[in-house]
Amino acid sequence: MNTAISISGLKALLPFLIMTAAAMVVMLGIAFRRDHRFTVLLTLAGLALGGGSLVFTPFAPDRYVTTLVLVDAFAGYYLALLFAAAFAVVCLSYSYLEIQGGHREEYYLLVLLAVLGAAVLAAATHFASFFLGIEILSVSLYGLTAYQRHRDQSVEAGVKYLILAAVSSAFILFGMALVYAEVGSMEFARIAIRAGAAGGALLGTGLVLIIVGLGFKLAVVPFHLWTPDVYEGAPAPVTAFIATVSKGAVFALVLRFFGNMDIRVGGALFLIFTIIAVASMFFGNLLALMQQNVKRVLAYSSISHIGYLLVTLLAAGPLRLNASAFYLAAYFVTTLGVFGVVTVLSTRDRDADKLDDYRGLAWRRPWLAGVFTAMLLSLAGIPLTAGFIAKFYLVAAGIGSALWLLVIVLIVNSAIGLFYYLRIIGAVYSMDGPPGPSMPISLSGSAALGGLTLALLWLGIYPGPFLALIGSLMQTAH
Amino acid sequence: MLKYALIPLLPFAGFLIAGLFGKYLKEKAAWFPIAGVVGAFLLSFSAFLDVLGGTVIDENLYSWISIGSFSVNVGIQIDQLTAVMLMVVTTLSSLIHIYSVGYMHGDKGYPRFFAYLALFTFFMLVLVMANNFLVMFVGWEGVGLCSYLLIGFWYEKKSASDAGVKAFVVNRVGDFGFVLAVLLIIATFGTLDFTEVFAAVNTPVADVTYSLFGGEIAVVTLIALLLFLGATGKSAQLPLYVWLPDAMEGPTPVSALIHAATMVTAGVFMVARCAPIFSLSEVAMNTVAIVGALTAVFAATIGLVQNDIKRVIAYSTISQLGYMFLGLGVGAFSAGIFHLTTHAFFKGLLFLASGSVIHALSGEQDMRKMGALKSKIKITHAVFFIGSLALAGIFPFAGFFSKDEILWSAYNSSDLGRVLWVLGVAGAFMTAFYSFRLIYLTFWGKSRVDHEVAHHVHESPKVMTVPLMILAFFSITIGLIGMPGALIPHANWFGNFLAPLFPHAEHAAAESHGLERMLMVFSVLVALAGIRMAYSFYVKSTAIPGKIVEKFQGTYNLLLNKYKVDEIYNYIFVDGLVHKLAKVLHSIGDVKIIDGFINGLAAAIGNTSVQGKKFQTGYVQQYAFAMGAGMVVLVGLYYVLK
Amino acid sequence: MIPLSWYIMLSAALFTIGVVGVLSRRNIFIILMSIELMLNAANINLVAFSHYLQSLTGQIFTIFVITVAAAEAAVALAIIILLSRNRGSVYADEFNILKG
Repeated sequence: MNTAISISGLKALLPFLIMTAAAMVVMLGIAFRRDHRFTVLLTLAGLALGGGSLVFTPFAPDRYVTTLVLVDAFAGYYLALLFAAAFAVVCLSYSYLEIQGGHREEYYLLVLLAVLGAAVLAAATHFASFFLGIEILSVSLYGLTAYQRHRDQSVEAGVKYLILAAVSSAFILFGMALVYAEVGSMEFARIAIRAGAAGGALLGTGLVLIIVGLGFKLAVVPFHLWTPDVYEGAPAPVTAFIATVSKGAVFALVLRFFGNMDIRVGGALFLIFTIIAVASMFFGNLLALMQQNVKRVLAYSSISHIGYLLVTLLAAGPLRLNASAFYLAAYFVTTLGVFGVVTVLSTRDRDADKLDDYRGLAWRRPWLAGVFTAMLLSLAGIPLTAGFIAKFYLVAAGIGSALWLLVIVLIVNSAIGLFYYLRIIGAVYSMDGPPGPSMPISLSGSAALGGLTLALLWLGIYPGPFLALIGSLMQTAH
Repeated sequence: MLKYALIPLLPFAGFLIAGLFGKYLKEKAAWFPIAGVVGAFLLSFSAFLDVLGGTVIDENLYSWISIGSFSVNVGIQIDQLTAVMLMVVTTLSSLIHIYSVGYMHGDKGYPRFFAYLALFTFFMLVLVMANNFLVMFVGWEGVGLCSYLLIGFWYEKKSASDAGVKAFVVNRVGDFGFVLAVLLIIATFGTLDFTEVFAAVNTPVADVTYSLFGGEIAVVTLIALLLFLGATGKSAQLPLYVWLPDAMEGPTPVSALIHAATMVTAGVFMVARCAPIFSLSEVAMNTVAIVGALTAVFAATIGLVQNDIKRVIAYSTISQLGYMFLGLGVGAFSAGIFHLTTHAFFKGLLFLASGSVIHALSGEQDMRKMGALKSKIKITHAVFFIGSLALAGIFPFAGFFSKDEILWSAYNSSDLGRVLWVLGVAGAFMTAFYSFRLIYLTFWGKSRVDHEVAHHVHESPKVMTVPLMILAFFSITIGLIGMPGALIPHANWFGNFLAPLFPHAEHAAAESHGLERMLMVFSVLVALAGIRMAYSFYVKSTAIPGKIVEKFQGTYNLLLNKYKVDEIYNYIFVDGLVHKLAKVLHSIGDVKIIDGFINGLAAAIGNTSVQGKKFQTGYVQQYAFAMGAGMVVLVGLYYVLK
Repeated sequence: MIPLSWYIMLSAALFTIGVVGVLSRRNIFIILMSIELMLNAANINLVAFSHYLQSLTGQIFTIFVITVAAAEAAVALAIIILLSRNRGSVYADEFNILKG
């Protein structure tokens, strides 16, 4: 592990450099020409270029660029996922912001910066890149959350997210310092070796503090309380971004950081993660049951979904990386789809977050209602959707490691969860909806939703090729 | 044989068109689901002929999920059992779709109704055509979903949406068992393919035992019992039957298709499909038989006193499903499936005919407000009569052959079987009684119809009566395909057809034919006695029932209130567990259950949800405090656990 | 030479003061300052450990942290100004339209 960056190292950094450049280009672009469509096109071009560069990036299992980042197939997969998700979010944002007044262009600058932070997280192997990634992501998200400056909810959500995320960063940082004190290094690989052996008090406390901070970003119980408020207050596409890009990148980091540790069954870390997972599943699902606000329902549902996902962290064997990779892909597609529908139904004054906004949607907009239904069923894990395969994969990984308790809790929770998704679907197909405004959906919005729906069905009905791809990518990782 | 993959896909196409374009098609939307289902029927018939010719299809279409060495395919299997189910499902589904054109005419949810119905047919066909547990699970979940949607179809009626919730919650319990069984199968056999699993159950792979509640239990038994738990949910057996009577809040064609003829028999089908697993476990077989027999009698007793025309038939369905399980449990798998087949026709007929009655009376379902309808709606009366004869098991109607085969198999199986036979015969008596009580109350005697309604009483249109007549024809004749050996030797075509799957010994040895014939005559006599009793109670001297009620007030009320099972469940889950817990936790403020959930578990969970919301105060510093407290707890845990 | 444990105690005390400040002060500006305290507590730790371990990583990391904290403060102040302009208040307990 040399500290200098070679030419091939620079090549491996290409996606990150492109994202940085794209952010700067967009910033300058705004300075010269303040035009919504133009900025969006620049942003999309940047994301597409970043995604395209992945084809040329020399991924290798030991492609460390300094000790800070590891550009292997694992990172490559998550980079692709993050870029694709951001692409969809930008498409949705365009149709959302187009009907809003005020300055819209800086929004995309923040999105690009957030994606850069997320990308760094997915490749991080060192506390420095970990911390920088998470901060670039978070600081951009403060701005995005509070972007609707004229809405009280948006600003309040921004402040709440700001305070709590800053506190969680402080926890992470303090934890890092403690781990550093005992291990004497900030590299994940070395920490993992020490953490496997009987670590001392400083290391243990440090790891738990880091779990607290990451738990906040992932929104798991008991660090989840911000989630419903921020989901409700933030503009719908930003909520989609937080739910997918932010959480996905942090989970990739969690896999990297804790995945190499020996989280043996019965150990303290194992039990802590088990408790967090079980609590998140139950809490998320139970609280979603009585919610009338669709964005809050989705917030609680996301809490339980991360709880499900934690099963992969605890499962042993090579399957778990594949399981989490597929689960996140399915979760991304589904979540983006759901929030996409929320986005295109939102008006200038408010987001479409009341259950009543969806009443009778099927009779006003059958296609949109069909997409919405498919997405909700996927979140619920109903067969023929991506969500079902994803959940099945998780469960298979779980029983492969004989995690019966977690698997049973997961199944019970899927059963509870189905109920509130069906409640929304019931509203969509009810006959007494308001005669809604027949606003046309913008081209970018419908394109994004169409693409997501196709992806959902493809992953649900014929996931073979994608599973094979994940299998071959993850084989080289770790 | 790829064309048979179209069998489920045609109804699905009908669903898509009716669902997405229903807004524009209005009532024309019905034609697409109908075309799809009829197409599926024709293809099923061709598949049936293939199977009859000896071609059994078991084909993987493509690899669905492959995880390491474990893989699941999307595949279809059309063997004898599936062929029978295909015929039953597509025939009834076609007829009921056509019937619904008349029944739902003018309903504002018309396209939606047909979309759901076609979607249901799709999932049901997936369920019966699956060649592995996971694809079966797709259908299993799907039919449950459609059932939920259709029960709550008239969601503006609170009772309807409550019934939907109840069906949903109860079925979750059953499905939990099914899912666990599937997972155990993966963990034990490493595959979900029917053929591979059934081949492996006899090998040492299956020699695993789990210790559960202090006892050792073989994995095969555990799997079978969990599967059966799933079956009790879907097929409404004790103790999970409570959702089915309430499910009658849905439109009547739904009751006929889903809650009588097809979906509720999915549990029976599944147990028959898994016969190789069940046969290996005596515990599981006995459980199936006992639960079946008890349900048969239990539901019949409730059926004796109900006043809602659809509820009587609903309890009768639960009871008849019990007979099917009794048949399966004593090892007479083909008898169980035979009863499934005949029952689908005559019970579908009874429901549709009761729909015709309700239609004629502008929505009235209470039998106390009926009577003397037989001259006004002649066709409905005639088909109803035929259906009831079949249900009561009168020779030579369909129900006679199938029910008797089950009873005879039970009698012949073991000592336990004899006891269950007694229960079965008692149930048969009650069945005859309540089905003719229904006929007499509805069609005979004096008219108790409201004057308002009486003017409008009219026979249903042809689009409704023709399907009724077709079903009536089958209710008379379908039993002949399973003629018992005791009447005409070697004429049990149905048993022979299924013989490759359920190789049961020719138990009907010639010398016992005499006994079998005697028992047959006996059970017909019992049924006739039941009919006779209903006649004297409800036609001749109508005062008798009142007197009996007076004398046995307690029993009557217990039955009328369905043994208060709902109340007991409510008491245990809501009052007992949750309220007390809630009172302890939240002594301040009023802890009342918010509307929406009425029943047991659902209310329990809902209440927790309401309480949980109180954590979400909206104050950022309290959130930060929760984080800090969480950190302290986790650090503490770390050192305690280390 | 000051023993390492003193540094740890100092930083733990600072961190705790920061946490208590976040939890108990109403004014969002002071909450932000308290968060700065928490970050700086970690910084003290990092520098102390870096010195103790004779590795530069900790000190360089501290410079990252200071930079990030500055950026965070800039964005935070902008949002809080927006908040006080919209609602005319900077008290944390007055913002709970989002709840439940």
